[in-house]
Amino acid sequence: MSTHEVAVTGLGVMAPHGDAPDALFDALLQGRSAIAPVFPELPKPAAAATVAFDETRWFTKLQLAGVDRVSQLAVAAADLALRDAGLTLSDAGVDAERVGVYAGCGMGGAAALEAAYRGNGRVSPLTIPAFMPNAPAAHVAMRNGVLGPVLTYSVACASSSVAIAEAAKAVQRGEVDIAIAGGSEALIVPGVVLAWQAMQTLAGFQPGEAAGAVRPFATDRSGFALGEGSAFLVLESAERVRARGARRYATLAGWGLSSDATHLTKPDAPGQARALRAALRQAGLQPRDVGYCNAHGTATRIGDVVERNALAEVWGADFDALRVSSTKALHGHMLGAAGAIEALITVLALHRRELPPNANCHEVDPDCRMNLVAPGDSAAPGLEAAISNSFAFGGTNSVLLFRRG
Amino acid sequence: MSSLKELQDLIHEKYGIEPSKLDPHASMRETGGLDSLALAEFLFAIEDHFGITMPDDDASIDTLAELAQLVDKVRAAKTA
Repeated sequence: MSTHEVAVTGLGVMAPHGDAPDALFDALLQGRSAIAPVFPELPKPAAAATVAFDETRWFTKLQLAGVDRVSQLAVAAADLALRDAGLTLSDAGVDAERVGVYAGCGMGGAAALEAAYRGNGRVSPLTIPAFMPNAPAAHVAMRNGVLGPVLTYSVACASSSVAIAEAAKAVQRGEVDIAIAGGSEALIVPGVVLAWQAMQTLAGFQPGEAAGAVRPFATDRSGFALGEGSAFLVLESAERVRARGARRYATLAGWGLSSDATHLTKPDAPGQARALRAALRQAGLQPRDVGYCNAHGTATRIGDVVERNALAEVWGADFDALRVSSTKALHGHMLGAAGAIEALITVLALHRRELPPNANCHEVDPDCRMNLVAPGDSAAPGLEAAISNSFAFGGTNSVLLFRRG
Repeated sequence: MSSLKELQDLIHEKYGIEPSKLDPHASMRETGGLDSLALAEFLFAIEDHFGITMPDDDASIDTLAELAQLVDKVRAAKTA
């Protein structure tokens, strides 16, 4: 079977830091947090990173019937990604049956479900089509006339990383010419925030200090903040990219998927290490070839130590040369969209040879000691390859490995 | 009593469709672009707006005039 090299040709984002990938990356370099207090009416203080989204840029009022925010964000980000790639799917030269959508989504339309609960018995007849987790992918497909595989991956925090890996596989095997791959999540509604608070995984914070609440790998870390948004990458075969003279941000050279099969929510270093090794093996690279890791880094007490240990085990003697940061400190944990936005950030880090900092980490936990990217120390002139880690509740681990060029 | 004007205002407020753009005797699906999902949502909004319960056998309704007639009937039954 002949295989194709997988190129990243388009980036689209609708995120707490805005809708421009470079501006998002600049904000991260500057350590600007998008996390702010939400829902003051809740008994316990809550913070999240939300998107200032103008849905009228993409939808008429009529088109919004039954379209939850999670799908609106997806349509916007996918549209921006296709535009960035210089692609219009109705153009000659594009076979719509050979285009696919691969979308991650953890929860689906949370706002639609919350409205149903809170409607005092009045439930919108469109609650189900608005809520269903595959609605974002379906709306992206309808908007763009995608006639190939339109698939949704619901793998908790790894959803969109898995979606991108599956999309890459389809492009590599020649099953599709173009893959629109990413994810969307929009669950900043009171009921869902209460549920996450009950899970004891959200960062605590003092009044006025929400922006710095998430402190990955720090001694005083206490968990993450929820984020919402969507990000999509356009993947195409290298041959196709050359033929149409398109810009290539990076190559998706490897991906590794593994399962812990140990515990539903507790992470497992051997499981993560298996995904890391699989990604390296597929890319044909050694640990020393990879200069940056965008960590899963949820800033939970256990999770950060386990991830550090998995990286240390796989990188071995070269561990000090691997620079690491978790950007969740700034854009929040976007759950089903986390893998996609962090893949996009990793691609930009490679493309620009600059690294986003591991923000809010004033004192590194001795158990998390590694080469964390310090604020202001962003230059990475020799960077050739980088990885993005996504480790999910349920025990699925996904690692994406990008190469320059 | 005709509910037509109020329905036209509601459809304008909800979907941004000007009354002049939707002939009351034209198909809402074909002319107005209201697909089956949007129509289901519109019926729900009508119930909220008028405080009525629309009958379930309204699938045959295709024009705004027909819909207004049905709403009139339901409202009349309610006040009777």
